[in-house]
Amino acid sequence: MVLKVFRWAPGFRERIQRFWVPAKEGMTVLDALVDAQRRLDPTLAFRYACRVGMCGSCAMVVNGKERWACRTLLKTLKSGIVTVRPLYHFPLVRDLVVDMAPLAEQTARVGGAFVPAAGPPTAARIGRDAAERRHIDPAIECIGCGMCMSACTMVANDARFPGPAALNRLFTLEEDSRDVGHAGRAAVLLSEDALTRCHTQANCTEVCPMEISPTQSILALRRRAARRLFF
Amino acid sequence: MAKRPRRILRRRWATTEGWRATPAGMWAWLAQRAAAVALLAVIVLHLRNPFWRPVQATLLALVLLHGLLGVRAIVLDFGLPVRWHRALLAGALALGVMAFAAVWGWRWY
Repeated sequence: MVLKVFRWAPGFRERIQRFWVPAKEGMTVLDALVDAQRRLDPTLAFRYACRVGMCGSCAMVVNGKERWACRTLLKTLKSGIVTVRPLYHFPLVRDLVVDMAPLAEQTARVGGAFVPAAGPPTAARIGRDAAERRHIDPAIECIGCGMCMSACTMVANDARFPGPAALNRLFTLEEDSRDVGHAGRAAVLLSEDALTRCHTQANCTEVCPMEISPTQSILALRRRAARRLFF
Repeated sequence: MAKRPRRILRRRWATTEGWRATPAGMWAWLAQRAAAVALLAVIVLHLRNPFWRPVQATLLALVLLHGLLGVRAIVLDFGLPVRWHRALLAGALALGVMAFAAVWGWRWY
């Protein structure tokens, strides 16, 4: 199979380099990249850690779609040529490696940290089957892989848009009865560059490897904001 | 030391790769906006000659496309699971085709 890999380093022009890699049964895109790096070009840079689909480090754009390289089998791509690019909308470091800092920066900027109530800390009293827990649970498993930000067309067009991951994080906090930071986040959420900017294209939902739907979270925040306007 | 400008990649929409694997939700959004822009032109033509059949057909098709995709967006806004958005797009298009066939097939003047 042919692996077409985006190559770039500071001070050099970008290019697409082709690697011929012998495809094997059960081979993933990450396996192919490792093979190319070991046998053909040790300067090829990409990031990975767990190799088993837990950490999200190997997120990249494979054949035009954001995917986990370690969980993407070559045979599922239905093509003898596989194009690999780094995630979009993140500063490039080198080749397929991007700087993930914007993800944390955007989350911090919009108040994505838990704000506890004043006074001594108390044990949480939210039952296993509580409606609140059932509501929040589907949105809490974000691993910060950045695929949603890469897939989002609004992140591409509005630097002030916090992005799906940050807004999903805000949803988990806004729905959490223990959190008291709602007033601080209201201005951000109701600004013209946050909730109303989402075009509901669900690109983030389509690519999330944890099957989270940031779009669902954004729509829930919108409904919450609308209720506050009228009630 | 001067800070080096950051290099950020963006999807290139002028390339095949940019459009490859484009999710259905994006097509729905794009089709609704494109239909809105096209409606402006077709309405002008329709006002000049309301009895021109091809313009009537185009106007009906665009109104159905724009309206039904709008209804899809509204039901998602009201809390229908976003995981259903592909099915909703397919449903909106199917309903649009059926409504067009029903209205156009019905000799109403």
